[in-house]
Amino acid sequence: MTRSGVEAVHGALGGAPASVLDDATRRAFDEALGPENVIHDLARLRSYECDGLTGYRVVPALVLLPRTAEQVAAAVGVCAAHGVPFVARGAGTGLSGGALPVAEGVVISLQRLRRVLEVDPVDRIAVLEPGVTNLDITRAAAPHGLYYAPDPSSQQVCTIGGNVAENSGGAHCLKYGFTTNHVLEMEVVLADGSLVTLGGPTGEQLGPDLRGVFLGSEGTLGIATKITVRLLRVPETVRTLLADFPSVVAAGDVVSDIVAGGIVPAAVEMMDTLAIEAAEAAVQAGYTLGVPAALVVELDGPAEECDTEFELVKAICERHGCTRLHIAADAEERAAIWRGRKSAFAAVGRISPDYFVQDGVVPRTRLAEVLARIAAMGDEVGLRVANVFHAGDGNLHPLVLYDGAAGQTELAESLSGRIAELCVELGGSLSGEHGIGTDKACSMPKMYSDADLAVMDRVRRGFDPGGLCNPGKLLPTPRLCGEQPGKYRPHPLEQSGVIERL
Amino acid sequence: MTSAQTPSQSPSQASAPVVRPTNLAEAAEALTGGDGRVEIRGAATARDWAGRPEPADLVLDTTAMTGVITHNPGDMTVSVRAGTPLRVLNDELASHGQRVALDAARVDAGATVGGLVATADAGPSALVHGSLRDLVIGTTVVLADGTPARSGGHVIKNVAGYDLSKLLHGAYGTLALIAEVVLRLHPVPAAETTVRLVCPLGDAAAAARAVLGSPLEPVALEWADGALLTRLAGNPTTVTARAQRLATLLGPSAEPLDTGTAATVWQRHRELVSGPPGEAAMLRIGTRPSRLPEVLAALVALGGSRVTAGLGTGVATLALPADPGTLEQAHRLVYRAGGSSMLRSRPPGSDAPAWGPPPSAVAVLRAVRRELDPRGRLGAGRFSPWM
Repeated sequence: MTRSGVEAVHGALGGAPASVLDDATRRAFDEALGPENVIHDLARLRSYECDGLTGYRVVPALVLLPRTAEQVAAAVGVCAAHGVPFVARGAGTGLSGGALPVAEGVVISLQRLRRVLEVDPVDRIAVLEPGVTNLDITRAAAPHGLYYAPDPSSQQVCTIGGNVAENSGGAHCLKYGFTTNHVLEMEVVLADGSLVTLGGPTGEQLGPDLRGVFLGSEGTLGIATKITVRLLRVPETVRTLLADFPSVVAAGDVVSDIVAGGIVPAAVEMMDTLAIEAAEAAVQAGYTLGVPAALVVELDGPAEECDTEFELVKAICERHGCTRLHIAADAEERAAIWRGRKSAFAAVGRISPDYFVQDGVVPRTRLAEVLARIAAMGDEVGLRVANVFHAGDGNLHPLVLYDGAAGQTELAESLSGRIAELCVELGGSLSGEHGIGTDKACSMPKMYSDADLAVMDRVRRGFDPGGLCNPGKLLPTPRLCGEQPGKYRPHPLEQSGVIERL
Repeated sequence: MTSAQTPSQSPSQASAPVVRPTNLAEAAEALTGGDGRVEIRGAATARDWAGRPEPADLVLDTTAMTGVITHNPGDMTVSVRAGTPLRVLNDELASHGQRVALDAARVDAGATVGGLVATADAGPSALVHGSLRDLVIGTTVVLADGTPARSGGHVIKNVAGYDLSKLLHGAYGTLALIAEVVLRLHPVPAAETTVRLVCPLGDAAAAARAVLGSPLEPVALEWADGALLTRLAGNPTTVTARAQRLATLLGPSAEPLDTGTAATVWQRHRELVSGPPGEAAMLRIGTRPSRLPEVLAALVALGGSRVTAGLGTGVATLALPADPGTLEQAHRLVYRAGGSSMLRSRPPGSDAPAWGPPPSAVAVLRAVRRELDPRGRLGAGRFSPWM
């Protein structure tokens, strides 16, 4: 996106930040939270102007930094009383603009609610405040031989509150499921400022599963202030292999045969030539340059089971013309394989001045087809597309490479958008893990009918009749959909190597 | 619509006309334009669960909405019409080595996919696979005014839009009619083995902790009929080896069961959960697993019997005398222990309370219902007295 384009987005979504709230409203926030917990200063407000989707920026009117659930409820209560829109924010690592502020509204940061309240090794649960990072849950559980399964690649910094909002997955969700499958209970502040509990200590429900609706609702139905998650026992054995194939089709056939063999791997990831080239340039993880496709397959579980299935997977790889099979001999070699896989995204910056990242899902059996179509679409407009994806569940992350200085931005942006819509056309989804947020709200009509979207909006109104809770996200609005999305720019934390994208 | 309209009689609803649509379009037509109360009914295997349905002007019978719409074995997903009995679906999927990983007791009685979603039912394998809330990846529903609406899709990984399938899970036919359901599938295990340890519930809880602390990955862990049952699944040779490790862990009284005996003990488990045909009420409860033994002991002191207890899931089912006083006490007792409870069947004419205290978010439940079904057409009485 060009400079002038970015400003156009500011103009449409942002506006003047300073004077949109009247003095009485500002005082009410100061009184509810204590003035030391309210940011009014423009320079400090600016650090909240975007999340990981850095092409969209809006400076909020205020940022609130509550320390307790009661303060979150009080802050939302002021919003309700004064008609102020609010946007909850965790670590700000989201990739779809889900935490993009509203100019006439406030950002409620959950970063100060970061206590691990309880780890119970008998019931195998942890009770967390929303600002606890994903990896810190596993750190707290590890002394008991337990861990928290969902592992988004930003897990060192992303928070459980954000994971709840986005229903985050990770490389291992093929076997273990998403955040929604691991959260039992949540204390939630609703849009009217009330504190309620959704879910309970077991899978039993008292009526419709509101917990399930809230999970993945991208902050549009309320703010989670306490989250109870299930912990799993650390598997007895983990086996990881890296295999090269003469074609993407051959690698895809391996995935199909693994599935047909009744094996549920912990993870199956695929990278194409371009993605391997980028990853090797960045981290030298031992991938083979020039091969058309590489698969990472990981199995875990009881030793006997894992060993038997691992032999089957090796045989399947060989049957499909595997040109090299590298088995991680120890934890260090396994980590190297994953380092290569996880660095691929940011590493693309080494082989291209600019790139857009896309997130779409197709039925697994259509992987080869979608990759061929993507390659053809790229050829047609003269742009390269690198592919890194969760092959086990058909979740693609095509990286559209371009040179903004050469005027390719709009071309690349359009190609990236068409790839997401192609996923829908092939029976898949607009997003597997990054969310809809601001970025794809306008594409939702490609996936759902007006009636479908109207029903979602009715559910939203049931939770938030005033429309104050993260407005403008997830569902298309005329105000938003007149504008074009911004290009991907690395998040500051990503540039400094703290987080990875995939 | 006339073709789908079948005049038929139901014992308790003799006067309400019954409509039996065969697909989504007919279901939408049946609801469009009407304004009377509608009772949605599948195989009626859980009609006496939860609050009693109030008299309806129309019964919408889903049992003619059957059959697989699409099944692509390579994607391990299937879409079905909601009136399809899960047993029938699983028989069909078995030829591909696949299944819907739900083993609720009433599947044998012909419960439909839609009915199992609506009642949030689950069985012992919830320990690993959860309930249908964890297995449904897409739903097409019809609102009370006849509007069809879809959410989710045909892919397992999907975060586009609200997950309205969850809202229908446990809604007991309020909110909307479930017309079509897309499910994720799992492989049928090549082999399963059950290890039995005869012991009282208190000892079983300690043994269950040892099993869950081990790396043996049980797929079910239930105390029933005076024994702890641990089910393992996997490869035929390795699962036997794991059963030996498990037996060693549990001590000399633990015994791996042969296939026939294992089938019998799990059949008995399903019978216990399904409840006696007599005068008792069945209560389903959930508490933190560590609290389950004490809560069950207190419920047994109230006259409880036929206890089955998921010592990993925290979910238990038991029979209680069906009088209102006992059930009220039972609900209160579970509530005080931080758990949830609901009535799952009771003798005809019993006015025992179906639910305990309302959940704290009941105002949202009511608001969502007002949005989706403003005239309260669907499922009246199911959440009485809170909704």
